[in-house]
Amino acid sequence: MDLSLNETQQLIQDSTKDFVKGACDRDVLLKLDTAPTDIMPRYWKQFSDMGWTGMAIPEAYGGSGNELMDVAVLFEELGVGPVPGPLFSSAVLCARIILESGTEAQKKALLPEVASGKRVFALAFTEAQFGWNAENVKMKAKKDGGDYSLSGTKVFVDDAVFATDLLVVAGIEGSIGLSLFRVDAKAKGVSIRPLAGFMTGKSEVVFDKVKVAGSDLVGTANSAWTGLDKGIVTSLPILCAYKVGGCKRVFDMALAYAGERKQFGQVIGRFSRVQDHIINLVNHLDSARWTTYEALWKLDSNVEGAETSCHVAKAVSSESYLRATDYAHEVHAGIGVVRQYGLTLFTKASRSLYHTLGAPRLHYRRLEKSLKLVA
Amino acid sequence: MDFAIEDTEQQQKLRMEVREFLEKNVPPGITHTVDAANQPPEQYQLRRELGRRLGKKGWLYPHMPKEYGGADMNADEVMVLNDELTRIGLALPPYYDSGGRMGAPTILVWGTEEHKKKFLPPIFRGEVRTWQLLSEPGAGSDLAGIKTTAIRDGDDYVVNGQKMWVGSAHGAERSWMIVVTDPKGKRHENLSWIMVDMSLPGITVTPMETLATGGEGGAGGGCKNSVFFDNVRIPAANLVGGENNGWKVATTHLEVEHGGTGRMSDRRVIGEFIDFCKETHNGVRIADDPDAREMLAELYVEGEIMRLFALRNHWLSHAHKPRTYEGPQYSLRRKLGSLDISERMLRIAGPYALTTDEKWAPLKGAIEYFQRDAITSLHPGATTDIQKVIMARRMGTGGREREAAGKLS
Repeated sequence: MDLSLNETQQLIQDSTKDFVKGACDRDVLLKLDTAPTDIMPRYWKQFSDMGWTGMAIPEAYGGSGNELMDVAVLFEELGVGPVPGPLFSSAVLCARIILESGTEAQKKALLPEVASGKRVFALAFTEAQFGWNAENVKMKAKKDGGDYSLSGTKVFVDDAVFATDLLVVAGIEGSIGLSLFRVDAKAKGVSIRPLAGFMTGKSEVVFDKVKVAGSDLVGTANSAWTGLDKGIVTSLPILCAYKVGGCKRVFDMALAYAGERKQFGQVIGRFSRVQDHIINLVNHLDSARWTTYEALWKLDSNVEGAETSCHVAKAVSSESYLRATDYAHEVHAGIGVVRQYGLTLFTKASRSLYHTLGAPRLHYRRLEKSLKLVA
Repeated sequence: MDFAIEDTEQQQKLRMEVREFLEKNVPPGITHTVDAANQPPEQYQLRRELGRRLGKKGWLYPHMPKEYGGADMNADEVMVLNDELTRIGLALPPYYDSGGRMGAPTILVWGTEEHKKKFLPPIFRGEVRTWQLLSEPGAGSDLAGIKTTAIRDGDDYVVNGQKMWVGSAHGAERSWMIVVTDPKGKRHENLSWIMVDMSLPGITVTPMETLATGGEGGAGGGCKNSVFFDNVRIPAANLVGGENNGWKVATTHLEVEHGGTGRMSDRRVIGEFIDFCKETHNGVRIADDPDAREMLAELYVEGEIMRLFALRNHWLSHAHKPRTYEGPQYSLRRKLGSLDISERMLRIAGPYALTTDEKWAPLKGAIEYFQRDAITSLHPGATTDIQKVIMARRMGTGGREREAAGKLS
């Protein structure tokens, strides 16, 4: 047993910390929050220069084939920003789905370009009847000779505004099961509309008779679910690590503020009511942290029960991030809701990511299955 | 990171060795009851016998130094021993030994070489069972407010006063206790720790009746006692850590008690209850009810968090990593998490969760016992409120420097 980071991971942690502190200070993060597409390309170049876009991709497909724990260390520190952007969607989630589902030729063609950052993928899964189960996907592709025609609406799609390619989940008319299609984000008939509100990076994506070549059907027709689910489940702990980073930062902010802010002649951190908020916060932080780390270790070492741990980690970290920001707001009171202060970037991220790849409720349902509670 | 606790070849070898040893050395006749408080003296004696056999190999306190009777084992090796004892329904040590579990590491940090040579080997070899004596009628959370005095008189200290919430059933050979050595001294500068031979004249032990054991295992673990001291003469050489230096010494003792070292014995009842709900009993498979299923998944997750906090603390302490708030954080989680889980079990199982009746009780009454035990566990080793106070200090919430965790080595 050794629960410390290894040398590689410490290096990743240090360089990511430096990046977040330097290139991505609070002003930049506030700008990214309102106009992400204006400045993201500049950052994306740095992401790929630093090799981040290829970390989760095997060497055989142009990546650096890092352990998931290495990738998680990167995402935890990005979550400390919080640095937004499509790195998770493209270089982890879609990369893993393609890795699980794609044909050898597709993997050879697509993954090196994901690893280099040339292609940016976003996963178009959820629809009007929002949900992350197979039965929530109603969209159907029409067969058109050897090709396909896609029509329908996807909504709350993460990072579509940054994408060069969309990985679209849909059925095929007249068939049972789901299929995966690679679609150019700029293809004729695709329109991407960012959604406003208390959320980050989500869009509506409308497909209007979009032509998809037969060769862009990823993997085998009508049997995408297994690979898709495996890609999603094994990506979960990376997203969780990003949330752990967020919890970590709001904990530091709350602790620092409680030690500076004076009321009634003393710093508020001396009041036990205020201390209780910070204690609740750190308990959420550590719950998210250790469930996530164990899931990562199980995936990296092929330990039995990895899937169960992934669901535990996602259920816990989504709830923890939400609650951690709540407690940070209780400590900060007024100043916490001033946009320039920066706390609300985390609050927004915690809400925005709560349902991404399934809310806690869904993961509890999945747990019921993996614990064999369902007969 | 590596969460594995039993994978290397060496550990596998050790596991086989331990298993073989236990097969040969666990005295025949050891039985397990759900409620440790109900175990008769013979059961206690059998566990003591096993303790002596383990002690001979240094395996009773395996992480302690060899020179005093331990085995110098690292975290992974200790876990193997723990696992193997847990597998057969026992713990390490296999009987209630609070004064050994918390006193020995304290003596190791604060005692003189003479103290260590005198007090540690009998504990580690299983020759003595030691209780810890801290609380008093007027001093629970406020430990520094104790009143029991030990006044120097020639080569002895003369002890008078009353301790509460002490030990277990079936007595102890020794007690490790905190006393006031300077009744006129300033708070925190008037205390000392002393090792007491329980056979000395003037000591009276009176049992108390409590709801449950409060998570303290071993035969008779649930019984608590009041211990009265009436002019008990204790050799001055038994005072450890310096006269009136007891508050500093207490930081080590309390760090162990507040969960700083992590306890690897998880709540077995969680897994057993989940399995029970997956089986059909009285014509009903509880897990078929979607509400019950949801609560089962939730209590499983809570159990996982408790287990992971314990695992983390175990590693932090055995790998000698810096700690701040983690000890009390685990204690707090274990206390509140257990209560939460027990109440979910009550909601799921209904009145079945409340009976020990042979005909109707699930899991031989283990659920009923857990209902009582989770409540009783809220106070031993400091209340939830005190755990929070310590966490806040360790995090430095008041802008002050973070209070350091108690020394463990």
